[in-house]
Amino acid sequence: MTISFPEGSKYFISFQSNYCILKCFLNLPPKKRHMIPPISEVPPHGTQPAISDPSPAYPPINSPRIPSLDVLRGIAILAALFVSIWIFGGFSSNQQTGILLRSKGLNYRLFGTVDLLLDGKMKAIIAIVFGAGMIIFMSKQPQSRFSLADLFIRRQMWLILFGLINAIVFLWTGDFLFHLGIMGILLFPFVRLSKRGLLIASLIALFIFCGKNYWKYADDRKAYNKYLAVTTIEKKIKKDSTDNAKKDSLLKAQKKDGLPAGQKADSLSGKSKTDTLTKQQKNDKSAWEGKVNGMKYDAKKDDGEKKAMRSTSYGKLWNHVLPTTQFKEASWTYQTGVWDFAAMILLGMGLFKLGFFTSQFSRLKYLWIGIAGLTAGLLLGWFRLHHNQLTLQDYANYIDHHWIPYTFFFPFEMAFMAVGYASVILLVLGAGPLSGLWRGFAYVGKMALTIYLMQSIICTLFFTGFGMGYYGRLSQFQLYIIAGEICLFQIAFSMLWLRRYYYGPAEWLLRCLMYRTWLPNKKNKPAITESTVTIQS
Amino acid sequence: MDLTSPLGNTNEGAAAAADLQTSQPRPVSTAERIQTVDVIRGVALLGILMMNIPGFGFHWSGYDKLLKGPQNTADFITLEVVETFFSGTMRGLFSMLFGAGMVLFTLNKKETLGGVTVAEYYYRRLLWLVLFGVFNAYILLWPGDILFFYGLLGMVLFPFRKMRPKWLIVLGIVCIGIGILKTMLWYNETSDKRKAYVEAVAAEKSNKKLTDEQTAAKSEWLEIEKNQTPDTTYVNRDLRKMGSGYGTIFTHFIPRNAGSETWGMYHGAWDMLCMMFFGMALFGLGFFSNKVSTSTYSTGLLVGYGLGIPIGWILFQKGWVEASNIGAYVDTYRVPHWVLYDVRRLLLCIGHASLLMLVFRSRIVPWLMKALSNVGQMAFTNYLMQSIFCTLIFYGYGFKFYNKLSYYQLYYVVVAIWIFQLIFSTIWLRYYRFGPFEWVWRSLTYWKKQPMRLNNNGN
Repeated sequence: MTISFPEGSKYFISFQSNYCILKCFLNLPPKKRHMIPPISEVPPHGTQPAISDPSPAYPPINSPRIPSLDVLRGIAILAALFVSIWIFGGFSSNQQTGILLRSKGLNYRLFGTVDLLLDGKMKAIIAIVFGAGMIIFMSKQPQSRFSLADLFIRRQMWLILFGLINAIVFLWTGDFLFHLGIMGILLFPFVRLSKRGLLIASLIALFIFCGKNYWKYADDRKAYNKYLAVTTIEKKIKKDSTDNAKKDSLLKAQKKDGLPAGQKADSLSGKSKTDTLTKQQKNDKSAWEGKVNGMKYDAKKDDGEKKAMRSTSYGKLWNHVLPTTQFKEASWTYQTGVWDFAAMILLGMGLFKLGFFTSQFSRLKYLWIGIAGLTAGLLLGWFRLHHNQLTLQDYANYIDHHWIPYTFFFPFEMAFMAVGYASVILLVLGAGPLSGLWRGFAYVGKMALTIYLMQSIICTLFFTGFGMGYYGRLSQFQLYIIAGEICLFQIAFSMLWLRRYYYGPAEWLLRCLMYRTWLPNKKNKPAITESTVTIQS
Repeated sequence: MDLTSPLGNTNEGAAAAADLQTSQPRPVSTAERIQTVDVIRGVALLGILMMNIPGFGFHWSGYDKLLKGPQNTADFITLEVVETFFSGTMRGLFSMLFGAGMVLFTLNKKETLGGVTVAEYYYRRLLWLVLFGVFNAYILLWPGDILFFYGLLGMVLFPFRKMRPKWLIVLGIVCIGIGILKTMLWYNETSDKRKAYVEAVAAEKSNKKLTDEQTAAKSEWLEIEKNQTPDTTYVNRDLRKMGSGYGTIFTHFIPRNAGSETWGMYHGAWDMLCMMFFGMALFGLGFFSNKVSTSTYSTGLLVGYGLGIPIGWILFQKGWVEASNIGAYVDTYRVPHWVLYDVRRLLLCIGHASLLMLVFRSRIVPWLMKALSNVGQMAFTNYLMQSIFCTLIFYGYGFKFYNKLSYYQLYYVVVAIWIFQLIFSTIWLRYYRFGPFEWVWRSLTYWKKQPMRLNNNGN
């Protein structure tokens, strides 16, 4: 098992022009200079050639990046907000149910479109890019006194902590940093797998994810069958009791005629034996009824939630949100999240090794992958939405007629569409320099962690009662406008920020924690970088 | 591991030669094992069965009767002794040695240039351990499995492997602190519920009409009390299921296993993590490798037992016996006794380990020490074997002893298994380098069939 690198990356050339390498080169002590491999031997895809000295106190400031990954990450992190805003802003699943059941109108089309195009796919792209990043990270030359494994695991553990802060302090129940942190550690031993191995592993994870969706459905079906069994018993009891009542009245009449009382007692005792359900049966019945009721649309259902989320006390909000967060971090991770993220991260690792992200494929191939991925994904998405509607209309009926749940192909839908999007974006980017808006996305992608955390802070302040209390007050349409505004702000912010600093604030903090030193972050005139590198903190 | 040093005088020359050729990180060999670590691990492994046996063969509803019943029965005294002296400590020692083993695994190996790094082997090994844990819980049907958690938490330990003992102890204390904080949060919530309930009942007594909130509070507390007392319907259902075949128990356990793996990890990580950090610290100080002075061990024994046993006794009397009446307990105490749980565990662990080290040094029972170190050397096999044996003894597809033995009789089973494992491990290790499951685990980790048989000419 060896790491295989894509050969002859086109991007490599553009890195050369990036003068960061030169900087590193200039700042190395002269005796080390002979260790720098000639340019042609430098491994492709952006490893730092100059640094083979294991002793620098901290890594060089500018490690070359693969711009396409930044663009992808930037786009995904911004677009994901259009789905997250549902939860941030109180566009509840109950309201979504209502919209799906009505199945017409602007709201419906809007929801359907966003759901089809974005839901889950942006998160998938982020995970895929994360997987690619893992390979890049692990194939760097060790640059500090810490081994790569140490740095990586430490980074992941800090990410977990960042995720916990995002979820527990910034109150974002949908946080996925926590999951990315964990999954990076779990998948660390897979980095060395061959591209084929990685893609197969990803496929297996996708299938398990589908299986999980199926098993959940099978449980529902079991619950429904139990419910049916109980209701037939109930009917029988009812019938029996009416029969008994008839018998009783008959008996009474007979008694009047002077029949022995023993018979009557018999029938009564028989009746008392069967006229109630056992505890277990009652539970079975209410389990299914509860499930169906939970799925029903009810205009008033969200009132309690809205009130709680508009509570002005942070403590109350915290208490209210905590169970949801814990569910997401514990149960969801265990049941679904592991497979969800594993599939995408492994896919990203495999694709990276195939050279997908470094423009190794022909333009035609990107085009085809894009078309195929998006078409297949949209078809599966259409299947999902349609069956989701059927499920919501009458779950019992759906169970009677379908052997798979509407969520069954969702994992593949996400994977196909994520790869499709990525392919199209890579095609458009080509190998040339980034221009205009793409640069903006690349900036966002460069400080994705900051952007992501900032989204939580902004949205929590905007929507909860602790801040401005807009939770549940805006329509779906308005929510998207808010999301768009936030995105615009964030693009502008990252362009401005990265003009002055090397890293976003959260990225900088993460790196400082990783390397256990204060790293310089402020950019100055080019000359200054020399001095900052030579000053050992 | 220094591969250039001559290993010919050990009894595994062939294996060493093979390793020299491939020149890759490889399993810790017998020569490098630290016997005292194995002895303590062996004791912890056997001790764990003592704590697990009720989980295998005793329905939890039995505790209610036991704790509220007379206190001079054999059952009660057994429970009292086990809880006071051992509860949590065997798991604790096991966690400590897991931490120590982590340090041994990662720091004893030399990196090979360009090859698979030690870190990768370490994480592969743990990922397999997680899978073994899933296997133990879902397939061998032991919902009390710990391998799953150890596998995952071991992944957290890695960046701390070179940390100085002082800081590891600080980390351990932080973990205990988080555990205490969590206990307090939970307890405060419970006592708030109790207060609301008491108020509601008082209001009811003074013939006031209850508000909706008060009614809800009342029913919420009653629900808590109801969950504490066994419900015959469900007890009978459980007993019926445990008496049935493999398939029934398998499906019966799926939600239980999923729940315990999910929440045990999310809320219970501190329990194990603190002990692992302490274990790494103590190992760094030479405590487990017989490098500390006898007087230090004696002090450890005195302090550990001197403080740990009284705390343990109080904890049992209050936290178990008195708390079996949850309402009155919550009314009486603002801070629950359980906050002392980890402190007690740590003290007793140190006490147990010190005692063992002293016995080892005094050479009173060398044969027993050897046998225990054998058990410890194949701890993984023995741990899984306990699951296999106990499920076969108690579950419906085996000898159906579930809930048939009284509490103290369970310990006959424990002793029988102990004796078997002591003898089995000794015999096995006479012929093989590792226990069978260790062999599977290692082979999977290194993705290559490991040599298993011992070279007889070495013996």
